[in-house]
Amino acid sequence: MPPPATTGRAPGPPDGGWGWAVVFGAFISIGFAYAFPKGLAIFFKEIQDFFGTSYSEIAWVSSIMLATTYGAGPISSILVNRYGSRPVVIFGGLLCGIGMVSAAFCTSILQLYICVGFITGFGLALNLQPSVIIIGKYFLKRRPIANGLAMAGSPVMLCTLAPLNQFLFDNFGWRGSFLILGAILLNCCVAGALFRPIGPATASVKTQMAEEGKGALKEEVTEDAMEMSSPTNVPMENKTEEEGGKDCCEKINQYLDFSLFKHRGFLIYLIGNVLMFLGFFAPIVFLAPYAKHIGIDEYSAAFLLSILAIVDMIARPTTGIIANSKWVRPRIQYFFSFSIAFNGTCHLLCPLASGYTGLVVYSIFFGLAFGMVCAMLFETLMDLVGAARFTSAVGLVTIAECCTILLGPPIGGTLIDTFGDYKYMFIKCGAVMVLAGTFLFIMNYYNYRMLAKEEKERKVKEDPKEDPVRTENEGRNNWNKETAQDGPELEPLREEQEGLKKEVNGTNEV
Amino acid sequence: MYPLVILHILNTIFESLLPPERRNIFHKQYFKLSGVSGTYVEKNITLDRGTRIELSCRLDNKYSHLKSLQVTWKRGNETVRHINKTETSWSIQLRISDNSKLGSYSCTLKGEEEISAIFHLQVPKIEGKEKPIVSYEGDTAVMICKSFGYTPIAWTWYMTNGSEQIAINDTLLANKYVIHRISANVTHMKILKLTKEDNGVYWCEAAFELGKSKGKLKLKVLSFMVPLKPFLAIVAEVVILVTIIFLYEMYSKKKEKSAEAEKEFDQIEQL
Repeated sequence: MPPPATTGRAPGPPDGGWGWAVVFGAFISIGFAYAFPKGLAIFFKEIQDFFGTSYSEIAWVSSIMLATTYGAGPISSILVNRYGSRPVVIFGGLLCGIGMVSAAFCTSILQLYICVGFITGFGLALNLQPSVIIIGKYFLKRRPIANGLAMAGSPVMLCTLAPLNQFLFDNFGWRGSFLILGAILLNCCVAGALFRPIGPATASVKTQMAEEGKGALKEEVTEDAMEMSSPTNVPMENKTEEEGGKDCCEKINQYLDFSLFKHRGFLIYLIGNVLMFLGFFAPIVFLAPYAKHIGIDEYSAAFLLSILAIVDMIARPTTGIIANSKWVRPRIQYFFSFSIAFNGTCHLLCPLASGYTGLVVYSIFFGLAFGMVCAMLFETLMDLVGAARFTSAVGLVTIAECCTILLGPPIGGTLIDTFGDYKYMFIKCGAVMVLAGTFLFIMNYYNYRMLAKEEKERKVKEDPKEDPVRTENEGRNNWNKETAQDGPELEPLREEQEGLKKEVNGTNEV
Repeated sequence: MYPLVILHILNTIFESLLPPERRNIFHKQYFKLSGVSGTYVEKNITLDRGTRIELSCRLDNKYSHLKSLQVTWKRGNETVRHINKTETSWSIQLRISDNSKLGSYSCTLKGEEEISAIFHLQVPKIEGKEKPIVSYEGDTAVMICKSFGYTPIAWTWYMTNGSEQIAINDTLLANKYVIHRISANVTHMKILKLTKEDNGVYWCEAAFELGKSKGKLKLKVLSFMVPLKPFLAIVAEVVILVTIIFLYEMYSKKKEKSAEAEKEFDQIEQL
């Protein structure tokens, strides 16, 4: 990496080196966050018998855990904004461990709700967000690949946790299993230890951000320092009246950037994703029951889910590689919309699948589509809002998604109960997702056009002398712009394409 | 092979209130069964209370032309005398009033080949648990037995002591065993304050009018040391890994600093 020529220019993301260790840590962290709630289902029958409760009361444990993991997103973002990824993940790992260990000694279902649901769920939330955020800090050019690899943690962990949980349960009963699972969750602390802090925090970067007229942004902490930049210290030139007036608004914005709600790309992403999640998880929840409903035995039905997980595992890094290619990366939003619509189409075609072979084919395509969407879930958000504001963006997005994620399976279940037929649930999920995909496609087309227009205006307006960045085409200046501007990155990427071509021909950093 | 023999056996269960139902069965040509004599079909019939039952073996219309068919009904070695014969069916009527009447009844068609059909009359089966229930000392264990479809008159729990089965009296040992009948078909036993001696096999017995049926459950009582060992091993692994990672980081930072210091030194020299 060439050393920065002028002082104040932040070095770009390394795109490699220690970054791969961070990806591995994120792999573990994200894997636990997504796979752990699903893996707990094995214990529910026994716990239900032990406490003498009904099935729905036990299912609340899962729901509370999921709700907390997604709902605590903003808190996670605030903490990462303040302290950086590493302490938050380590604390999250400890919390998970404490939650599960205390669950092993529970004597009532209410205590289980608290220990497993809230405490562990909150710990997992503190794991999920920072892992995704730190990938954005370590990668730019190879970010889709890094995202794809890290998100592959979810199916891998699920495939590992399911038989492991069964083994633990057979040998130690549910209490002993919870104790050991608590220890296993402590491995999230190991993942957190890998998250070495990184990030630029220079004055020139701050002034550039101020020019945009947004609220004061919290930069990622440098290695040992915890900086508290109060809004008054940073010169604000074009501050809008609302943000200039109240102190508390500024303070909140410091921790969690609510001005994102004015960001066009963010709003598009938010609406599209909230819509998509209505139909995202329900098919997985009901795949095995549907298979049993049409007469397939239990083991084959479970095998369908394994097929899904294996295809998912392969699809995620592959999607990352495809999304990183120079043809797709500038239009990654289209690729994302396409994969959502593809997912929806799979569901719409599922009722036509007859017999076991049909369902196997459906599982393969579903696994492929599911992996594609998940691999790019956070990548597209990063692409839209930039790594600097991603911290707050991901928190706001997850709490909005929380509602629809929790609503999706119960709505599907109600449809199944009302009509007695699974096909309406598939049709509903498919329709919702195709709608979401189409919406995102159209809106992103509009967004790209607006960005191109704004870019032209900016080029015309600005004095070339003030901003030497524009005259250079080298990679590092584009990275600098990437961190400096909180606008979308399409522009630096477009200029970067020439830079990329040069890089491709030259030596590659690993 | 076997699909060639499709001998559906008709069985009729009729209580005084219900009309009998008949279903057709096919008996496939035994001509094709050369060399497969001695085959038989089986059917399990579950009865939980006294009833009258009619079992019949019927020949399909296609093969009614077959002559010289001899049909015998047997229960074990006894032959059942009273056979109702028609042109194509041979049936017996039984009154099942107690356990002694249950068992396996077979009808044997002897012609050129011999084909049998066996009806197993039995009480409903109770499912226990195949895998052992794992619990811990001082904890509570909950054992559940279910009867599917049939309501037992009473439930009894037994524990195995050596080779004996001892009934569990929950009124006598009220602070150790609690037996509940949750619903008509489900029984629930809680064992409180577990100790190592509670390890072993337990039986839940359902009493029906026609007999008793048992389900088997195994209980394993572990001490807390057992899961504690893997727990401590994993915690140790986590601590070691975290330490290694942090030490490596400090080491590489030192290397960086000394490399930078050298560079600055060189730069200063150049200036």
